[in-house]
Amino acid sequence: MKRQLQRIYMALIVILLYAPIITLVVLSFNSSKTRAKWGGFTGKWYAALFQNDTIMEALYTTLIIALLAAVISTVIGTAAAIGIHSMKRRARTVFLGVNNIPMLNGEIVTGISLMLLFLAFRVRFGFLTILLTHITFCTPYVILSVMPKLKQTSRYTYEAALDLGATPLRAFFTVVFPDIMPGVLSGFLMAFTLSLDDFVITHFTKGAGVDTLSTKIYSEVRKGIKPEMYALSALLFVTVLVLLLLVNMNPQDSKSAPTFFRDAEGRRHFRFSRRFLLGRLVPALLVILVAGGGIYYGARAGNGNTNDQLIVYNWGEYMDPEVIDLFEEETGIRVIYEEFETNEIMYPKVKAGAVAYDLVCPSDYMIQKMIDNDLLAEINFDNVPNIKNIGSVYMEKSRAFDPENKYSVPYTWGTVGILYNKTMVSEPVDSWKILWDSKYSDSILMQDSVRDAFAVALKYLGYSLNSTNIQELSEAQSLLISQKPLVQAYVIDQVRDKMIGNEAALGVIYSGEAIFTQKENPDLEYVIPKEGSNLWIDSWVIPKNAQHKENAEKFINFLCRPDIALMNFDYITYSTPNTEARKLIEDESIRNSTIAFPDDEMLADCETFQYLGQDADELYNRLWREVKSK
Amino acid sequence: MSNKLINLVDITKVYDGQTVLDELNLYIRENEFLTLLGPSGCGKTTTLRIIGGFENPDRGQVIFNGQDITTLPPYKRQLNTVFQKYALFPHMSIAENIAFGLKIKGKSRQYINDKIKYALKLVNLEGFENRSPSLLSGGQQQRVAIARAIVNEPKVLLLDEPLGALDLKLRQDMQYELIRLKNELGITFIYVTHDQEEALTMSDTIVVMNQGYIQQIGTPEDIYNEPQNAFVADFIGESNIFPGLMIEDRLVEIFGAKFACVDEGFGRNKPVDVVIRPEDIDLVKPKKGIITGRVTSLIFKGVHYEMDVMANGVEWTVHSTDMVPVGEEVGIWVEPSDIQIMHKPESEDEEAVSLEES
Ligand SMILES: Nc1ncnc2c1ncn2[C@@H]1O[C@H](COP(=O)(O)OP(=O)(O)OP(=O)(O)O)[C@@H](O)[C@H]1O
Ligand SMILES: [Mg+2]
Repeated sequence: MKRQLQRIYMALIVILLYAPIITLVVLSFNSSKTRAKWGGFTGKWYAALFQNDTIMEALYTTLIIALLAAVISTVIGTAAAIGIHSMKRRARTVFLGVNNIPMLNGEIVTGISLMLLFLAFRVRFGFLTILLTHITFCTPYVILSVMPKLKQTSRYTYEAALDLGATPLRAFFTVVFPDIMPGVLSGFLMAFTLSLDDFVITHFTKGAGVDTLSTKIYSEVRKGIKPEMYALSALLFVTVLVLLLLVNMNPQDSKSAPTFFRDAEGRRHFRFSRRFLLGRLVPALLVILVAGGGIYYGARAGNGNTNDQLIVYNWGEYMDPEVIDLFEEETGIRVIYEEFETNEIMYPKVKAGAVAYDLVCPSDYMIQKMIDNDLLAEINFDNVPNIKNIGSVYMEKSRAFDPENKYSVPYTWGTVGILYNKTMVSEPVDSWKILWDSKYSDSILMQDSVRDAFAVALKYLGYSLNSTNIQELSEAQSLLISQKPLVQAYVIDQVRDKMIGNEAALGVIYSGEAIFTQKENPDLEYVIPKEGSNLWIDSWVIPKNAQHKENAEKFINFLCRPDIALMNFDYITYSTPNTEARKLIEDESIRNSTIAFPDDEMLADCETFQYLGQDADELYNRLWREVKSK
Repeated sequence: MSNKLINLVDITKVYDGQTVLDELNLYIRENEFLTLLGPSGCGKTTTLRIIGGFENPDRGQVIFNGQDITTLPPYKRQLNTVFQKYALFPHMSIAENIAFGLKIKGKSRQYINDKIKYALKLVNLEGFENRSPSLLSGGQQQRVAIARAIVNEPKVLLLDEPLGALDLKLRQDMQYELIRLKNELGITFIYVTHDQEEALTMSDTIVVMNQGYIQQIGTPEDIYNEPQNAFVADFIGESNIFPGLMIEDRLVEIFGAKFACVDEGFGRNKPVDVVIRPEDIDLVKPKKGIITGRVTSLIFKGVHYEMDVMANGVEWTVHSTDMVPVGEEVGIWVEPSDIQIMHKPESEDEEAVSLEES
């Protein structure tokens, strides 16, 4: 009975531990694209995986970094272990402690601190920083695995070798090294595995255009999970598993090793197999891999030198990948494409200058901040003749943050307005006022962000949404507090889902999302209230430290081409400022949609956000906290 | 045996504030079999490691053939060591172990093979070439270690308690083999042991050490028969050591009884230490002895009996092939030449103070 229970318990634990991975592996063989149903067994995702160039490149980068990091950290770690081993007891304890701390340290802490270090020393982020980072976090593990072997070796054999005339170096390699070999090898494999596996630390220290498998998987998964990623993750799991098995297979008991001396015939046989495997075969394979991959990718990359590059830093999912392919084909310029999630993540990276981005796509207020901080280069509009396709009203609106239209070219834009359900709201909606109507108590959705919430109240009161006047702001605050009982929820992304699901009557929403919601639920209607609202513009800018400014201008010009702007509009679905592109939109309902393309007069009272400075930021935040906590 | 091959001058070694060797002076002649003898922790191994180059002395010099080699690294010294723990290379065969030094010197294959054969024959391990060290017995390993050292034809062979781990019979065999080797090869041996019998059997010269000081240097006979202080006397063999009073030349008083002796020059009425070996005490009829006592214990020791005799308030240990039963009254008689008189140490420190070389 007790036995039975133990077994069940064991089985449960094993299932819990491995269920996720088994799911992953199973799904990687599922021919149906959705997770929900089994469409039969297939290997096509694996095939697709190996045909995907960017993934193969990431694989190669991963392997070469893992290999180099493992080799270098093994050398450093072994040397360090020897050094520590020969120290006096007290010093040894101290150093082992020092060695252990980085291993216990949170990965994220290690990652961020390394990033800061590189920033402080103005090291360019890229392949080298990843490699240095991996060496850094692998070395302690090598030390840890070599130390016990060193402790087992007798000091006297080393001295005996010296005594017989061997120099310290030779004595080490002929006498000590064979003894600690198992520890060194398992250290090496450990380092290799760790490096292969690492995501967090790599994420913080990688540069533009360099990806390891794990960062690649991460960025792909952000865009929506593709079955190829299951296949890739499954392969990664299997590789790491095999490596770990190899590490643990290492002879821990060195005493058993010499038994094959026993008879004169074939006496080396047993040792040879392991030696051969770990000492010859594996390194040989790795060398072939590196050399072969190097030649392959060298040949591929050979036709482009770094002058033909362009490093683009854009929002996630903010450009049709085909546009990049087309540009590369037409110009021969290789585009290195990096993504960010928020302006606030982008800003410090550009400011630090670790990666010299050539083209960045920030929002209005952030562009202002970047201009203020002298981070941007003036665009040479002689190279951007297609600027003529951008509607003048957008250039006009851009002056709020780029007063002379010198630094930025509008890419997408949108408004903030009220989305309402016609079946629940019968009266005409044209003012922010309706959000304070107690009729709609508990069916109003507000944006859960400071500036957006205050923008609504300030505009309703007739003030600028960039107001820093304490009087105006406290009025807006009281207004928001008085609205609170009516509000169903303060949310961000859920406005869309809740409105589609008829869960609320009114919601404050971005125009780009409004179009999408209308498709899903025809009862929804979007208005920009007559008091005016927020108009946001994301524009292309060129950082001052760009290395390929002319390429960047070429690309801007390319993006302003009507057919290209159309491709991007179809992909992103946010309004395009490109009036020529708009004319090419086939779907009439969209071409004439007042949501996507409101009249100029509807935009008359709309303002872009401006950067208000730190003091104002703090004031806004304090007032907003008070609203939320009342 | 005249040339000073190695000369240690004022060697001082301090570990963690503890002085392990204190201004040690010692020379070794060519072809000499010199033994460092002393209790555990007295600094024997340290001395040897300084000669071998594995430790640097904090002060003092090591002179080899007239040259200062104090800081010369071990692999440049013309010495070879047989380590206390054998220190064979576990991942090499016996032959590879022996060939190690020769390969480094770049000797030819033929030469190396001949040497391996010769050395294995010398240590009675013919045919062991391809075995692994871990499969050998302790004695065999030790012999391999010796073979590995001597194929290099060193001027000096340093041996640190090479026989310590062996059983009595094997130890005796190996002692003979070592002496044979020394005679055959004409190598100078510096040998470390804490086994006084081993030292007495094998050495030309014995250096008795205690707490980092040399207590006495001399031939085995000197050391045994004329220990210069109580420590040496006590350490070498069993002894009766009594406080005494040197009344005049050739007359010493022990516990009120006057004994004739052969020592001179200690002055009159001077307190001294008196050493009498147990086997030098003759038990005679009461009255015929110098003093009278009673046997209090009797143990059979194989070759002889060991008896304790209570006389004049102290116990005298006596070795004799004749047995006297417990309770019997006996007289104690000692030949004057068997009485050894020593200076009394004036302070505790002096007990370990190094004496001038004899
Ligand atoms: N590396 C070291 N660090 C600190 N102390 C040491 C070291 N080596 C030796 N000692 C100390 O020096 C003293 C003399 O040691 P040594 O090994 O020379 O003694 P020994 O005469 O060879 O003793 P044994 O007969 O036990 O081998 C001992 O007290 C020992 O603890
Ligand atoms: Mg010792």
